[in-house]
Amino acid sequence: MKNLIEMLNVSKVYYRKGVEVIKALDNVNLQVAEGEFVTILGPSGSGKTTLLNMLGALDRPTSGKVILDGSEISKLSEAELVKLRRQKVGFIFQQYNLIPTLSAIENVDVALAPTGVPKRERLERARELLNLVGLGKRMDHLPSELSGGEQQRVAIARAFANEPKILLMDEPTGVLDTKTGREIMEIIRRANKERGKTVVAVTHAGYVRGYSDRLLFMRDGKLYEREPSELGNQFEE
Amino acid sequence: MIPYSYALREISRRKSRTLSNVAGFAIGIAALVTLVMAARGWEACTAGPLRALGADMIFIYSAPISPTPGSGCYIALHLFTYPFDISITKGLSEVPGVERVVPVLMHRIRAVTLCGIDPAETVTNVILPSDVIEGRYLTPDDRGVALVDREYAAQYGLTVGSTVTYQRDFEVVGIVKAKAMSIIQATIYANLPDAQEVVKAPGQINVALIRVEDPRKVPLISEAITRSWPRSTVITASDIATVTTGVINIGEETAWNISLALAAIAILFGVKSQLGAVVERTREIGLLKAIGWSNADIMNQIVIESSLQGLIGGILGCVAGYAASLYVLSTIGGEIGGALQFVNVDPLLLIIGLIIAVLSGVAAGIYPALKAARLAPAEALRAL
Repeated sequence: MKNLIEMLNVSKVYYRKGVEVIKALDNVNLQVAEGEFVTILGPSGSGKTTLLNMLGALDRPTSGKVILDGSEISKLSEAELVKLRRQKVGFIFQQYNLIPTLSAIENVDVALAPTGVPKRERLERARELLNLVGLGKRMDHLPSELSGGEQQRVAIARAFANEPKILLMDEPTGVLDTKTGREIMEIIRRANKERGKTVVAVTHAGYVRGYSDRLLFMRDGKLYEREPSELGNQFEE
Repeated sequence: MIPYSYALREISRRKSRTLSNVAGFAIGIAALVTLVMAARGWEACTAGPLRALGADMIFIYSAPISPTPGSGCYIALHLFTYPFDISITKGLSEVPGVERVVPVLMHRIRAVTLCGIDPAETVTNVILPSDVIEGRYLTPDDRGVALVDREYAAQYGLTVGSTVTYQRDFEVVGIVKAKAMSIIQATIYANLPDAQEVVKAPGQINVALIRVEDPRKVPLISEAITRSWPRSTVITASDIATVTTGVINIGEETAWNISLALAAIAILFGVKSQLGAVVERTREIGLLKAIGWSNADIMNQIVIESSLQGLIGGILGCVAGYAASLYVLSTIGGEIGGALQFVNVDPLLLIIGLIIAVLSGVAAGIYPALKAARLAPAEALRAL
């Protein structure tokens, strides 16, 4: 199966006044095949979110190449990056990042609005997606009227809105209890198995590893194929 | 297509920012409407009464008491006047800058005023063909016929063909309605020779209506006339202004300038407020970028929000400006019944006010929108 995501010798360095301050990614290499579910475990500050931002074309590497579905993001114009983010990537965040003034269905519609699809079709699609994640009866509720698990389901529906090939999840169960977290992971797993979504999840919640095809580990901006023994006890089970 | 519901909810979420922005736009537009209407009301109460006659000044010889007691009086603008020889009109027309001089004879017995006019004068005159509401206007050859004021005709049941009496009988050939703001109004209008004959003042008039080539030169011409005819009185718009009170006359141009300055201040406050809102929403903007919004989409969102605030402020400003204008227009020129009888609140002005408010909203949104669009998505998502 072809690689949908490739990172080749990717480093990301943050500078202040020309002086290197943080090396968030240090010569990272990663290949993710189409339809694969990869989980990256690592403690806070290990560079997981920076890596995810690279994969979501939200940031560019200081050196190295990030290739998404055949496109090297450093070579894409701003307009091409927008198109790539809109069409190929769906983001799910730890804090859900829902817009507080919009109802569940409108939050999903926000992802569809810039596509030029007529409003009626957009709302129909948003309804379908909310039904898919089990929120059919709470479509008109504001985020403040939904539980954490329900808000994350809305965020998942929003991530699915444009049928992206890649789902990127940044601590998707980070603020949820284990039972709700597992329900969320089941939805993602189904999307992976039944709809062929390629999933990259970064987390420090250990139970997420059970849903993955492959586990990777991060520490100090470096990516490891095997769990460094000294990190093992830092992951929650 | 960015959902307008999102923009509406966002501006309602940030109530204090929205209220201050909307208030800024509303005050600017209310001031625009009120000040411009006040200026127009003032203008109507001062230049308007003369303009209704097609004149820029009125020449009379005012008298302390009636010069012909017991047999009626020569009157103009509620002032007793001396009659003077019509030949003076020739001298007046030779004053540099004077375009036209029109003779008028006004005589009153009790509450009825007879006005002798030259019907050949159809641009500058006490009563004009356009004032006829029934019958016809006078012709220069008419004798023994008259036009009668609508109210007087209604009071005495006069119609075209009836007879009206002022020292002698006149056949009524037309019913007229003088312009509301006209400063000289009479009951009966006849040809000048008929009026001179009736009041036994052949070759005499008591009012000369003067039209000038350039209204800006009225003060100079007025001064030249009073120099040449020392005992005369020349009444100009500024003389009328001295008896018209209510608000300070600022002039329409100044009113526009003040209002546009207020709009500029509202825009500056709007920019500051919108910048604050962008900072508050940094993470949200990062999210929108992450889910595929382009820089243009982000800019549209901010500008739409800002222009909606402008629209709401504009609507409120127009309503407040309309109400304030009605009050101000009824106050200005209270001595002559208020400016509201001459001018109405201009719907075009309200529309212009609304457009200015929306454009101000757009202007206030552009810079913050640019700042929002330039946010790096990864950085924005990291914001607390």
